[in-house]
Amino acid sequence: MATVVPTALEVPEELPAVAGEELPEQVTLWQDAWRRLTRNRMAVVGLVIISVFILTALVSFVWTPYPTWRQALGPTYQGPTLIHPFGLDDFGRDMLSRVMGGAAIALGVGVGASMLASTIGIVLGLLAGFYRGKIDVVISLLINISYGVPDLLIALILVVLIGRGIQNIILAISVTAWLGMARLVRGQTLALREREFVEAARSIGTKNLKILTRHILPNALGPIVVQATYLVPAAIIFEAFLSLLGLGIPPPAPSWGSMASEGYKALQIAPHIVLVPCLALSLTVLAFNWVGDGLRDAIDPRMRR
Amino acid sequence: MDAGETLGIVGESGSGKSITALSILNLVPEPGKITGGQILFKNRDVVTMTSGDLLEYRGGDVAMIFQDPMTSLNPVLRIGFQIEEAMRAHSRFDKRQARERVIPLLERVRIPSPKQRARDFPHQFSGGMRQRAMIAMGLANEPSLLIADEPTTALDVTVQAQILELLKELNRELGTAIILISHNVAVISSLCTRVMVMYAGRVVESGPTRQVFDHPEHPYTWSLLRSVPRVDERRHERLISIKGMPPDLSRLPTGCTFHPRCQFKVERCLREEPPLVEVAADQEARCWVLMSNVSKESLAART
Amino acid sequence: MSRGTLVYATQRLLLITFTAIVVSSIVFIGIHQLPGNAIARERRINPATEQALLHHYNLDLPWPQQYAIWLGNLFHGNLGESLVNEGTQITPLLLREAKTSVTLGLAAVAVTIFVGMSLGVLAAIRQNTWVDYVASTAAVVGYSVPSFVWAFLLIILTVTGFYAWSGGQIYEDIGWGKIEQIPVPAIALGLPYAAIVARLTRASMLETIRQDYVRTAWAKGLSARVVILRHALRNALIPVATILGPLVTGIITGSVVIEFLFGIPGLGQEFVTSILSRDYNIVIGVFTFYAILIGLANLTVDLLYPVLDPRIRY
Repeated sequence: MATVVPTALEVPEELPAVAGEELPEQVTLWQDAWRRLTRNRMAVVGLVIISVFILTALVSFVWTPYPTWRQALGPTYQGPTLIHPFGLDDFGRDMLSRVMGGAAIALGVGVGASMLASTIGIVLGLLAGFYRGKIDVVISLLINISYGVPDLLIALILVVLIGRGIQNIILAISVTAWLGMARLVRGQTLALREREFVEAARSIGTKNLKILTRHILPNALGPIVVQATYLVPAAIIFEAFLSLLGLGIPPPAPSWGSMASEGYKALQIAPHIVLVPCLALSLTVLAFNWVGDGLRDAIDPRMRR
Repeated sequence: MDAGETLGIVGESGSGKSITALSILNLVPEPGKITGGQILFKNRDVVTMTSGDLLEYRGGDVAMIFQDPMTSLNPVLRIGFQIEEAMRAHSRFDKRQARERVIPLLERVRIPSPKQRARDFPHQFSGGMRQRAMIAMGLANEPSLLIADEPTTALDVTVQAQILELLKELNRELGTAIILISHNVAVISSLCTRVMVMYAGRVVESGPTRQVFDHPEHPYTWSLLRSVPRVDERRHERLISIKGMPPDLSRLPTGCTFHPRCQFKVERCLREEPPLVEVAADQEARCWVLMSNVSKESLAART
Repeated sequence: MSRGTLVYATQRLLLITFTAIVVSSIVFIGIHQLPGNAIARERRINPATEQALLHHYNLDLPWPQQYAIWLGNLFHGNLGESLVNEGTQITPLLLREAKTSVTLGLAAVAVTIFVGMSLGVLAAIRQNTWVDYVASTAAVVGYSVPSFVWAFLLIILTVTGFYAWSGGQIYEDIGWGKIEQIPVPAIALGLPYAAIVARLTRASMLETIRQDYVRTAWAKGLSARVVILRHALRNALIPVATILGPLVTGIITGSVVIEFLFGIPGLGQEFVTSILSRDYNIVIGVFTFYAILIGLANLTVDLLYPVLDPRIRY
């Protein structure tokens, strides 16, 4: 066996992008990050899948091969055929149309929950980190308690209490999801508020709100974007969990989770009913995770593993 | 090298000393490779040894201690276990003997209250003690050769002297041959009977320590000696530094590898690499010029 | 175990108790602010019986008083009585179910650690070879595929696949109670987290195999297996251990779905059933149990640190 021994002469896998390649033109941090992102093969594949996903979701609002709710289009549990490439489900509904409709729900829940949770998390995280004091004590306490409770249980209780509409599902997911974002933003703010440029801004009499929005937030934006990206697939999985337990968006809405849940009963005779939405969901989650990983590496090259 | 001998390898950092040492154990770090030549130990070539023989040879016949005792011991294993493990991996001692030898070994390298100390973890040891423990580990299988790669560089001066003294004593009493690698001429001359000077991965001069350091023949050896203060030096010559940097080993200059920095180079040095030739009794050097041919006047003019 | 460790563990146990009380109090108070419960919603009963039932469960008292009684019982380990099945004591019921959930959880953790570390070590010692690429890709795919999808795939494989392949000899019986029914749900539950462990182990191993002490181990003439497992991996475990805490919380979350799908009578399934039947007493009880379980799991992980890394002392 070839011996693997420590090496002092290790050459970095890839030389850091040479700054100043395009010196006359000022390259912003974000343009630079975008360039690094598009050089990451996995991230590009992820972006392509996400584009297809978004496109499918948008198309499904105006057109699907069949209405997602139309039953008895053929024999129930029918496998893939030319007319119904993904087969029919237990009510004889067209799986392709339903998967397309499911993309719209997943997109809505994923992006909706990510945006809502991020907004709450950013605002409260900024306030806690910047003003410290009571608000910080309360938010830190909430964060610490949340470590001891599975998010899913809280969401389940909420859904039972407030109902199962898509907005309610988004709310139920965000109720716990914002804590992670708040923790991140709080940490960033705590570090940034001690930096020289914040001191400088304060010394010339800049208002607190302006310091927060012009100086602290932009500098914390990198990790925030990465975290928000990871929140999308997390929310999609979360919705599927709720649907599987029978507490997601109510039927006949074609959420991927409820499709899988319905198909579970017939897993042995018609596995395609479960596999099609599961594949769509896994592929979407994978794409977001790839882009998330790519963004993380692109925004902060030091975080490269 | 003979049994019980002490050899010093000296040279600047990046001159190939440590790689030479690791090659002796056939442990060259990737992507490095031993591409040619032989490393003979008791008439067997280390390069072509089977992996089983190699494991027995490493740490059994030849042991090695490293520069930084702070990082060279495994932080999560007890000192005693790390020594015992070295013996368990080889067939010289059985399980019971291995366990029983740990404490005498620690005693041998002068670690106080060895019985308790064997149960300590590396972070509970001082730098000097860790290097002693490393030496104990190296000696565990009574190897015929101990390679010490800059064993004192990371330690403070008084501890350095103690470690060198310990190595000297072990060589005398156990007859273990020692290869001492150092950039420090003083360290080498205090311990080693023979010395090998390396530059850019090549041996440029070798011979008995006293002789080489008193009458260096290679300009590199000469400038190396002039660049360090010597306590035993009677004449107070000016210290000089060697101009320039050691060459990149992947882009060696043509001819003699030292010529870009040599003050005494002749035209031939740029074209042809000199062979290692005997320059005096038992002393070899790799140079077209040789310091004994340089006149006193021109020497004075260049310092 | 040193004295410091004992003191530390005691403090942590007190903290866990405190957190469990806080969490269940929040849930208790929250739920009691809301209208409706199992009795009012699910049953058609005459007013007198309803009044008697409400009285039986102290539901006729103002909530602060209910809370005081509940808290008093909690200190005696008594979580009260099921609102749906009158006379069913919650504590023994949940203890029994917790045993099931813990068994499943531990099996899943074992899968996670074994699969994750094997993949991670393999990828690291074969860095930049096809083994590494396959293992690393498998890791990203692994954690993007949620546990329930693994569950479906495994069920298709074991139930349908093995049955057809063995001509009816092997029949995977989905359910709980027999030892051979543990692996499938445990693997489904553990795989996504195994992927995370694999990524971390790989990164951590790449660090440690370049360390001086690993070079020392090679120079000592130790075999590759000993060098990699005892010297490199042993040290690589230290950073990997830091995610064990969040991982346990994740596995508990996932187990709610897995228990439901496989019909495993654990805390997760109990929670789903009781929330649907609005048996709030059990819901609160499950929260309390989960808070304690997560606390204990985190404590175990923290007590593991000084074992893994002797430089850490409490």
